[in-house]
Amino acid sequence: MRKLIEFRNIVKSFDGQVVLKGVNLNIYENEFVTLLGPSGCGKTTLLRILGGFLEQDEGTVIFDGQCIDKVPAYKREINTVFQRYALFPHLNVYENIAFGLRIKKMGNDIIAQKVNRMLSLVNLTGYEKRNVTKLSGGQQQRVAIARALVNEPNVLLLDEPLGALDLKLRKEMQRELKRIQQEVGITFIFVTHDQEEALTMSDKIVVMNAGEIEQIGTPLEIYNEPANAYVARFIGESNIVDGVMLDDYKVRFDDKNFECVDFGFRKEEPVDVLIRPEDLAVVKPKDGVLRGEVKNVIFKGVHYELMVETKTGTKKTVQMHVVTQHDLTNAQAGEKISANDFYVDSDDLENKEMTDQDFISIANAQAWDEEDRDISLTRVSHNIEKRPGIYTITFGTEKGTEVTVNVHVIHPEYVEDARHNIGISALDFFITPDEIRDSMAISTDLKTWASAEAWNLQDDSPVEITDVRFDFDPADVKEGSYDITFATRGRVYKVETTARLEVGDRVGLDFGPEDIHVMHKEVTDV
Amino acid sequence: MKSFFRMSYPYLVWIALFIVAPMIMILLYATTRSSNGVITFSFTLDNFARFFSDPTFLKVLWTSLRIALITTVFCILIGYPAALFIANLPEKRQTFMILLLTLPMWINMLLKTYAWRGILMNFDLESEVKVFIGMVYDFLPYMIIQIHTAIAKLDRNLLIASYDLGANRWKTFLKVTLPLSVPGIISGITLVFLPAVSSFVIPKLLGGGNYVLIGNLIETYFLVAGDWNFGSAISLIMALIIIASMYLTKKLDRSTVEEG
Repeated sequence: MRKLIEFRNIVKSFDGQVVLKGVNLNIYENEFVTLLGPSGCGKTTLLRILGGFLEQDEGTVIFDGQCIDKVPAYKREINTVFQRYALFPHLNVYENIAFGLRIKKMGNDIIAQKVNRMLSLVNLTGYEKRNVTKLSGGQQQRVAIARALVNEPNVLLLDEPLGALDLKLRKEMQRELKRIQQEVGITFIFVTHDQEEALTMSDKIVVMNAGEIEQIGTPLEIYNEPANAYVARFIGESNIVDGVMLDDYKVRFDDKNFECVDFGFRKEEPVDVLIRPEDLAVVKPKDGVLRGEVKNVIFKGVHYELMVETKTGTKKTVQMHVVTQHDLTNAQAGEKISANDFYVDSDDLENKEMTDQDFISIANAQAWDEEDRDISLTRVSHNIEKRPGIYTITFGTEKGTEVTVNVHVIHPEYVEDARHNIGISALDFFITPDEIRDSMAISTDLKTWASAEAWNLQDDSPVEITDVRFDFDPADVKEGSYDITFATRGRVYKVETTARLEVGDRVGLDFGPEDIHVMHKEVTDV
Repeated sequence: MKSFFRMSYPYLVWIALFIVAPMIMILLYATTRSSNGVITFSFTLDNFARFFSDPTFLKVLWTSLRIALITTVFCILIGYPAALFIANLPEKRQTFMILLLTLPMWINMLLKTYAWRGILMNFDLESEVKVFIGMVYDFLPYMIIQIHTAIAKLDRNLLIASYDLGANRWKTFLKVTLPLSVPGIISGITLVFLPAVSSFVIPKLLGGGNYVLIGNLIETYFLVAGDWNFGSAISLIMALIIIASMYLTKKLDRSTVEEG
């Protein structure tokens, strides 16, 4: 195949923001090339530079052996199908398609011939006189394609042309576009953020990220042998786990050694290991290479998508004391008042200004009158010190209704999990059966009541607590003490299976050496 | 709904009192003849016959239409490039320019016209040219704003698409920008031509005493001659011409859009 377009070290920035960081790319004749990447990765900018609508800051574009940097857009033998079609609203379908030919001052009979051929290519014969603004999205799309192709360009640029269509129409247009490309036999450069679109249509996919090309390859290469975790995540569903390359064909992850088909890594090189969800087979626990528990099941139509946890996360268990509260009545004022004992972290007293309002909310202190109307608590007095110990706090209303509860200042032990780099903390707490019964989202409320938090030990960024375990029935809880365990996400594998499983099932996961793909770690610039 | 409707009652009364009633009176005056100040309701079309049979009146009508037409053409010729220029400025500058344009509209028209009279006195120009200068000056902002609005709301991607299809800047202007700004030109015409036909202050002040337009004619018959019947008839003829031309421009507007 002949090389048609060559981007040489293209650099482009907008307002100091570098959008393209030196892109090199060759595109050949008759290829269907897809520029794939998330929005803002620079794919549309690259397309616009080729179309002549933007000028690069550095680098050269070679088209058919000639440098076209100084050639204005209207002189380039390239045509574009725009994102929102950009059809001329004052012209009908026929005149829209004929636009480029009229500019070239072709004869009416030749124009008619060419336009009619295009209309039948895009299946719009009979639509000549229609008003383009009254056409459906799919039809407008076809007019836009015909309007570009009628000029017989060497290259057709398509800037996310299917983005505005609904799913069914999009699939139809994908097939249609592929057919048109094969029929006219010219180079199509297609820009999209939709990986499925890229996989189904392209001869070659260029995966872009943050102004750089991550990988260039056929759809099969990109899917089966992604260059790095970024590409693997972007194309298809993936499980990516940290591993260490022990030797050629030997990789260690999830505390086990595995055989693989990859080689050429440094010894002991930290790597990303990719296993596609469809390559994991669900088997009996004893038969699996890995064992775990089903945490989540989603029905996807053809298959189920399971989340299987093979290793639990970092956890912390606390005690929940369920006590029935006795409201104190101030008959004279016609008021009632209640509050809970509570625990406070001595570090919080040290580091945060705890206000009276904070104490009121932790103690769940409230007062109300005979008609059940809330009364504000205007007086709070306490002898709390920062040292661990038991103190008292008194809440009172304007009319002198008061309640006194115990405050346990403690220095809780954090669980620090150096292997996962995660710290987690939670406090014991007091609660009434009523509050548990009234809870709409018990897991979330338990996290709040226990002040449960998890964080990254390195940078202190918060880590989500995904698991809250308890063994009481929230609808029918009795007084007493209960264990509550909070845990972060462990090692979870996404699995696609047709087998029907329930959350909580123990399963084994099986896979072979060829299902493992080892990738170099991304060099992340910090 | 009903209570909202009730809120429009004062407005309806206003319309009835100050728009509908005078119109009926004009119609009445135009189709009757007066005798010694007492209106006798005898129907006649004499007033109309008098207007159309007298070449002097027809000449005045023709001059009015001609001046309005030429004013409009000049407004388009000056206004379009100005609007195009403004529409290509950065957004903030556009707002500022539009503000500058509307600024003179805050000044009383009479005052501006007197100012022009003072300025033009120093030049030896034909009175008709002076009238054109005054009229174009007064009506130009309406034209520019209308055209600017049409150009500004034009989808930039259409221009890019036109370049993409091989049209250079000039061809893009001719084939995309211009046709798509026609609605703006049409509404500009409506805002310029119609008031220009019936304007009488500018021609009177800038054109010298002997320069008579249809607006002046009406003014004269009502205020100077006291012939309300004939004045009404001229007003009615004017109104009909205006309605007819409004209808025509509307139709033209629609046909350019539907031409598709």
